[in-house]
Amino acid sequence: MASRRMNLTNICFLLLYVAAGVLAGRDFYQILGVSRSASIKDIKKAYRKLAMQLHPDRNPDDPKAQDKFQDLGAAYEVLSDEEKRKQYDAYGEEGLKEGHHSSHGDIFSSFFGDFGFMFGGNPRQQDRNIPRGNDIIVDLEVTLEEVYSGNFVEVVRNKPVAKVASGKRKCNCRQEMRTTQLGPGRFQMTQEVVCDECPNVKLVNEERTLEVEIEQGVRDEMEYPFIGEGEPHIDGEPGDLRFKIKVMKHPVFERRGDDLYTNVTISLEEALVGFEMDITHLDGHKVHIIRDKITKPGAKLWKKGEGLPNFDNNNIRGSLIISFDVEFPREQLSEQQKKGIRELLKQEPIQKVYNGLQGY
Amino acid sequence: MGFIQVVHEYGLTKLVFVLLCVLLQSEASYELNYVTCGSVVKLLNTRHNVRLHSHDVKYGSGSGQQSVTGVESADDANSYWRIRGKPNHACQRGAPIKCGQAIRLTHMSTGRNLHSHHFVSPLSGNQEVSAFGESGEGDDLDVWAVQCSGTYWERDDGVRFKHSATDVFLSITGEQYGHPIRGQKEVHGMQGASSNSQWKTVEGVFIKPSNEPLRHDEL
Repeated sequence: MASRRMNLTNICFLLLYVAAGVLAGRDFYQILGVSRSASIKDIKKAYRKLAMQLHPDRNPDDPKAQDKFQDLGAAYEVLSDEEKRKQYDAYGEEGLKEGHHSSHGDIFSSFFGDFGFMFGGNPRQQDRNIPRGNDIIVDLEVTLEEVYSGNFVEVVRNKPVAKVASGKRKCNCRQEMRTTQLGPGRFQMTQEVVCDECPNVKLVNEERTLEVEIEQGVRDEMEYPFIGEGEPHIDGEPGDLRFKIKVMKHPVFERRGDDLYTNVTISLEEALVGFEMDITHLDGHKVHIIRDKITKPGAKLWKKGEGLPNFDNNNIRGSLIISFDVEFPREQLSEQQKKGIRELLKQEPIQKVYNGLQGY
Repeated sequence: MGFIQVVHEYGLTKLVFVLLCVLLQSEASYELNYVTCGSVVKLLNTRHNVRLHSHDVKYGSGSGQQSVTGVESADDANSYWRIRGKPNHACQRGAPIKCGQAIRLTHMSTGRNLHSHHFVSPLSGNQEVSAFGESGEGDDLDVWAVQCSGTYWERDDGVRFKHSATDVFLSITGEQYGHPIRGQKEVHGMQGASSNSQWKTVEGVFIKPSNEPLRHDEL
């Protein structure tokens, strides 16, 4: 009997808890699939990935797609803002003040440019006849640290936008041949400029913040397009803004594909007796090296998994290849040191003469 | 009145409040108002209302290099210039450009750098300004110093560009070309700063400084 009453109370509490959870609003962390302690960068990454997957255009058969997408937008809007996130963590969705919320469309397009380019291949190719403004290509220099860990770059795009103005203007001007009759049986062909009439348009400068993601493992020359953010065309569509990744040289690491190469200079003593050291990687973590054998000049150490993350699958990593070179003592040795070395090494002279350039 | 007296008169809290406001304002403007390294911008000559421009058309006289002109249209992609550090001194992406800093302006479409040298300009007889180099690499005559009042180059500021090697200022005095670039104005270098040598950024892609990528320092 007692146990059943206990069970009832437990169930009551459970129901109350669930009800409170439901009433309190949506779990934004769950919607984005991140932990409660996720960094702003992780949140942005998660949002980008899910926004591409959950967009209603991508899920035409799912009746709940629009709702899921709206939830995603609301989750990102709160968790990406420090203030709003604090309030949400303390008071739940209910606790958020009614303020001005930017539409989900705005957030989405600041990340990806205008809708449409990802879904259904490249729809722009169909409209060959609509004149298009020029594309703008911006070289974006990135460091190897950013290629390793990823990063976000905010830019402010100030561009002229065509706005309707009063009156009319001439558009689609072209040369046409006109035939005029001068008399019976006599005709003249002249060239004439003929224009259409269009609503008048003026160019007004507008500003917008865009965000480019430097994805982990991004390769040199890869482009991130923002549709419609290029130069406007007064009679047609604007061109695109494309960010072209340019990976900069690094003082310590050299990139070959997903592998990283680096060099270490050790002393003659370390080469003969062995040594222990740390290499600081691109994100600050240490790669530990222990050598207790003799290290020849030119010796290579292969550290699997310590290279760059692969662009297509961030869980796969390349290797770090460490090449050692040995620094010989700079000053001449004293007679006593020479004697000591002869006794230590007890080596016979080798003095092998051969053609080293032809592989003999 | 000494500082102590001022504080006493107006109250410490008010002073702190004012200081905070100033700090907050400067924080906000830092995000949007500076011209930064790596940004791609259009430069408007404030006196003649034309944008600095280049194209695949060479001068018919002087050096015969690619010409640089001033155009009226606001929607030509050939008016975009990329802001970069001087040779062998890459500036950090997103870092605001300081007044007095030496920079290069690389023409976005052709990859040539804004350049000047001891050749005579075709219309006015001043110093010729051309676009020189390949894929952003030219020589030391590509370097210009940004002259402005204040600490950093602000987007709304009128600034001047002084050619580091010859000390002339990037200017326009109104001479116009004929065919094949009818209506475009001559851009040249002139001694002495004037209203003809004042420029302002207008359209463009302004890069904000980024945070360092996350580090995982382990013990």
